[in-house]
Amino acid sequence: MKMIRAFIRPEKEQEVVLALEGAGFPSLTKMPVFGRGKQKGLQVGPVHYDELPKTLIMTVVDNDDADKVVKIIQDKAKTGFIGDGKIFVSPVDAAYTVRTGEAVL
Amino acid sequence: MKEISAIIRRDKLPETKTMLDELGYPSLTIQSVDGRGKQKGAMCAEMDSEMPDSYCTAVKLTPTPSVYALEHTLPKVALYVPKRMLTIVVPDDVVSKIVKSIIKVNQTSQHGDGKIFVLPIEDAVRVRTGEHDGEAIA
Repeated sequence: MKMIRAFIRPEKEQEVVLALEGAGFPSLTKMPVFGRGKQKGLQVGPVHYDELPKTLIMTVVDNDDADKVVKIIQDKAKTGFIGDGKIFVSPVDAAYTVRTGEAVL
Repeated sequence: MKEISAIIRRDKLPETKTMLDELGYPSLTIQSVDGRGKQKGAMCAEMDSEMPDSYCTAVKLTPTPSVYALEHTLPKVALYVPKRMLTIVVPDDVVSKIVKSIIKVNQTSQHGDGKIFVLPIEDAVRVRTGEHDGEAIA
């Protein structure tokens, strides 16, 4: 299993979520986060924004689906400008459903 | 070392913390998150049948033009359920014990009890002393 953590523009969140849902990945966890990237934030005239608001979407999927999910997020979250965000994929050893106690996703 | 990420009900947090204290692993990080699972956020499956369809349409997320082509698969409005996410980093040998205990404390047999993920952690550093690996989380 893979955990996919995508830092995306907050305004793109709904689009990404709907796309994932349409592709059969309805489960996700989201949280608002603040961060900056390679460009050290954002410079608008004299004002420097160091911490920019992003949405972190976290989802765990089977190994085979990871590429597909990354592709969907990338397609939907892309605007072509800096600040589109990052996607991180990390391995997950096990996933448990608390209700049943089973080790299945 | 393993990271255990548990997404649990908000009201089960105190019990879970007490349980972790008793097991001797009191260190944890808590985050307020919103999410949904396989049931697609339908918190009230029984209530759904009594809810008029017009209600759902009224609150349904409005798709943006670029997603019109997408098939909206949810029969009812998609809700995000507020949850608490605990993150703890523990040695390999106690992972199964802690996972079992979290499951035991959080089980209500209703949908929405949450998920637990176990992730590998390569290194940990205690900032104050610069200790690495096992010493950092001991």
